[in-house]
Amino acid sequence: MAASAIRLPPASRIERLRAFTPVIVLVVVFAVIGAIAPAFLSIDNLVRIMNASAIPLCLALGATFIILMGSIDLSVEGVVAMGAVLTALLVQNGANANDLGFLAIPLVLLMGAAFGFVNGVVHVKLQIPSFMVTLGMSFIAIGIATVMLAGERVRITDTTFRELALGRVLGIPMGVWVALAATLVAYVIQTRTRLGRWIFAVGGGEDILRLTSVPVGRVRILAFTLAGVFYGLGGILSAAQLGQGHALMGQGRLFTTITAVVVGGTSLMGGQGGVQNTLVGVLIVVGLANGMVLMGVPPYVQTGVQGVLIIAAVALAVDRSRARIIK
Amino acid sequence: MSAGGRTAALELVGVDKRFPGVHALKNVSLEVRPGEVVGLIGENGAGKSTLMKILSGVYQPDGGEIRHDGRKVVLRSPIDAAATGIGMVHQEQSLLTNLTVAENIWLGKEKPFLKGRLIDHKAMAAAARRQLEKVQIDIDPTVVTEKLSFAQRQMVELAKVLTLEEEIEGHLVIMLDEPTSVLEQAEIDILFARVRALRDRASFVFVSHRLDEILDLSDRVYVMKDGAVVAEMPSADADTEKLHSLMVGRSRNAEYYKENRQKPYRPEVVMAASGLTLAGAYEGVDFELHAGEVLGIAGVIGSGREELARTLGGLAPATGGTLTVFGRPARLATPGEAVSLGIGYVPRERRVEGIVGFLPVVANITLGNLRAVTRGGLIDHAKERTTAETWVKRLAIKTPTIRTLVMNLSGGNQQKVVLAKWINAGAKIIVLDHPTRGLDVGAKEEVYELVRSITAEGVAVILTSDTLEETIGLSHRIIVMKDKRVTERFEAMPGGKPDQLDLIRHMV
Amino acid sequence: MNPAVAARLRDVAPILTLILLVLVVGIGSRGFLSPETLLVLAADTSTLFIMAAGITFVILLGGIDLSVQAVASMSSVVMALLLPSLGYGAFPAALAAGALLGLANGLAFTRLRVPSFISSLAVGGIATALALAFSGTRSIPIGEELRHAYLWWITGRMLGIPAEIWLGLIVLAICLFVERYTLFGRWSLAVGAGEPAAVASGVPVALVKLLACVVSATLAAFAGMVLGGRLVAGSPTLANEFLLPAVAAVVVGGTALTGGVGSVWRTLIGALIVSVVRVGMTFLGVDVFVQQIVLGIVLILAVWITIDRAKIPIVK
Repeated sequence: MAASAIRLPPASRIERLRAFTPVIVLVVVFAVIGAIAPAFLSIDNLVRIMNASAIPLCLALGATFIILMGSIDLSVEGVVAMGAVLTALLVQNGANANDLGFLAIPLVLLMGAAFGFVNGVVHVKLQIPSFMVTLGMSFIAIGIATVMLAGERVRITDTTFRELALGRVLGIPMGVWVALAATLVAYVIQTRTRLGRWIFAVGGGEDILRLTSVPVGRVRILAFTLAGVFYGLGGILSAAQLGQGHALMGQGRLFTTITAVVVGGTSLMGGQGGVQNTLVGVLIVVGLANGMVLMGVPPYVQTGVQGVLIIAAVALAVDRSRARIIK
Repeated sequence: MSAGGRTAALELVGVDKRFPGVHALKNVSLEVRPGEVVGLIGENGAGKSTLMKILSGVYQPDGGEIRHDGRKVVLRSPIDAAATGIGMVHQEQSLLTNLTVAENIWLGKEKPFLKGRLIDHKAMAAAARRQLEKVQIDIDPTVVTEKLSFAQRQMVELAKVLTLEEEIEGHLVIMLDEPTSVLEQAEIDILFARVRALRDRASFVFVSHRLDEILDLSDRVYVMKDGAVVAEMPSADADTEKLHSLMVGRSRNAEYYKENRQKPYRPEVVMAASGLTLAGAYEGVDFELHAGEVLGIAGVIGSGREELARTLGGLAPATGGTLTVFGRPARLATPGEAVSLGIGYVPRERRVEGIVGFLPVVANITLGNLRAVTRGGLIDHAKERTTAETWVKRLAIKTPTIRTLVMNLSGGNQQKVVLAKWINAGAKIIVLDHPTRGLDVGAKEEVYELVRSITAEGVAVILTSDTLEETIGLSHRIIVMKDKRVTERFEAMPGGKPDQLDLIRHMV
Repeated sequence: MNPAVAARLRDVAPILTLILLVLVVGIGSRGFLSPETLLVLAADTSTLFIMAAGITFVILLGGIDLSVQAVASMSSVVMALLLPSLGYGAFPAALAAGALLGLANGLAFTRLRVPSFISSLAVGGIATALALAFSGTRSIPIGEELRHAYLWWITGRMLGIPAEIWLGLIVLAICLFVERYTLFGRWSLAVGAGEPAAVASGVPVALVKLLACVVSATLAAFAGMVLGGRLVAGSPTLANEFLLPAVAAVVVGGTALTGGVGSVWRTLIGALIVSVVRVGMTFLGVDVFVQQIVLGIVLILAVWITIDRAKIPIVK
């Protein structure tokens, strides 16, 4: 009812604490695992966790912008695969004579942007839910990646390029630095650009925006394009890390990406959360996976524990006073 | 036209607007002079909100014209209206609660604060602070809007509208749509003080249900009824009773109320409330409802009657007092519980809570008690069809077939479907929450007839209505609420109907 | 165009799309329209359809169930493990395991108020973990005698028609019956089309949502059994790559992701469209690697044609 919606009091102190639920979960997860398996908190292992977080972080950053709008992007796996394959084919490799080295990076990012742009345009102009557009797009991207390699995989022979993921600065893998730089860029976009703020506005109440001059359609298209760039970066890092490219390199990435975003506290309804939450969410998900291995939890139980944790984290973060209808 | 030698800031000349079946605005002319606060009143359905929507660019008039500073303007969208110099402070607030105050104030207008491609948040906050100073409110523009009280948000909305000052040429006109409905008295005082202080910057159109506030703040008042302006006068010449009688129109006689068709109610009590309380909404409400009775609840917005109606429908459980239904204590914690006790709720927001628009007529009619058309636990479609057809015929619901989606029916027929749902579910008590809102005259009369006929069969009705004439005409007894409490009770049996002014006196 | 005509056209768009696709493939490749090919196609579609039929109930409510492929795989493992000891008892056991997971999903959805997208994703994770744990992460083959003794109703033929088609038809009949004749079916539509009005009418909304989750998981478990029977094995990854085509089948059939509009009947058409596109491409000699691309494009186009925008105020 409109009248009662207006009368809802501003968030109470306890409700405000909810914003910090993901950080609390992160601290608790790390403390508990550290107590059981002290090796978990060793410098070596923390570096390992960081390294394992690099690619999921890049992907989740992109997805964050989409979920902030209340939309969803299922094209992650496809664009990552395209990115990895394209990277492998552009640098010195075992399949063709290309040797672009680091020049491949802007080209692959452009490819990611192109896929995102098409996602956005089809979604906005044809008025198709993002769920279906990006699902179809994922098939298309994986298909193109498969065609490009005729189902084969291609090895990267450019060792300098592979330093992008494997080299170390201050004892920390380059991939981590790249992901951190990406996080910083994403954070600046989110907080300091009009696009970033408008993405929040779209998620906060698209109907209200009709009263303002915010170009909602353009914001949506740009957000999908931006997300595509981040997936492209994830593809580049995957290729550099594994030293190869093939069409199934994105496999399993989609749901961990969305899980990380949501566990970080970004609402699927849109408008709440952000890049900082996603950083926390990725660390929770990756830290937990790493910790379970250290604690000797059989690998097959891990997805189950993750499932329980996701439900718990989201249930804790749901603001029951706000959303009356949950779908 | 000019007044006092000055061009009007905003002028409407012969504005006309029709919707299918409704003549919403009839040749409306109105002017707002620079620095003036103009009050606009009328009952629900009088045309106020259509007028506001035309002024804010949401609707286009079918005839007549709008002039701003003497020049004819065409307002194609809210953005257009704002660029012309007509701003709106919305009743259902238009701030995004997940953005900061400064971001809300400058939403879509961030360009001046870009340094390169980045937003200079400091500059934006500083500029927002300057806007907030105009309304003399001391809040940090970098705070997230969610954390503000409703009164503060209202001020921010006002500050946001005032940003138009620097963008437009000529006079700024600000429309305040029911701005006080979510505010406490102290907050209202502050709002009014600000509006008065801003009169050298802008003119205001002030829409409110509270006549005392209208008189307090406005220089002149326009009264609307049935889509037309029926009176215009300086506030100094008006008082609340005079305005109210202008709003409701000429006094009605027994013929108008169709008193002869109203049957007396029966002695048995079907529902009783004692000290019923919903914290923050209403307190200590007592009443008894008899079989075949229509009990009207009169009161202005904020009197507590709206929430009381929802409580009786099971949508807003009371926090104190006792309620008995057919002699048994009942909590009405959920709509399901209310339905199982034989209570049906006809909601104010018909399209949201009343009908399921994408389902056909037949499914809507049986939704309240689907079990009644089952055999062995399964839906008996033949039985369901017969049931629906019976009700369509009995209530004269105009629909091509019973398989037509309810969304395609007219408002009056949708309302009949909702009523059919409850009568079919065997409801013995029906809560009518603004049952004729948005209906045209003919459809209203059909709903009245329906209410008279179901009460004649022993169904009891709780009625909250948009207009007093409706309340008086349909009710057997009326309780009047004001400021969360029952202030007076009236007998309204045929031949002994109370006067509207008597009710008004206890409402305002 | 007259809105009534447009609505009518949109209503039949999925089936027209299907017919068009069949004709295109049929003209391009003579062999496609032979009875035997069509029977194989129908049999292949069966598993996809059974799974998609379950999801339909959740999507009708405006939710989503992403746990189905994991639940199906787990059910195949349970069946394969229990067949030697329980015989026919293995089938209800597998179904019950699926139903339990659906119950867990439904409780997280309705009680903990976790969005179904997340709750079902998480329950899918739990199902996978269980499948891996039960199976020791291996594929579990079903022996030849067991297959003859117990799996005849999945792998055999009746009246010359593969048993899977019969199973698909039975599921279709039951689902249509549930949709049309039960309170649950009607209430699902009402909740999806107008939850506030359903609440105000006294519909037990939480119960309906819970039941939909259980139905979806149970049908997923059934699909897992059929698939396990076909492949004569249970495996924790058996139904991988089924989830997204299943969701696509529901949506391509014209059921709206926002809820309230749709039917299992439409899902059947959708599943057939997905299958015809996949199989048809092979018949037309489309490069295996290009098939994914075509499938993606057809999905988007099909949704574009079938979706009813009048019922979705804001497309997200």
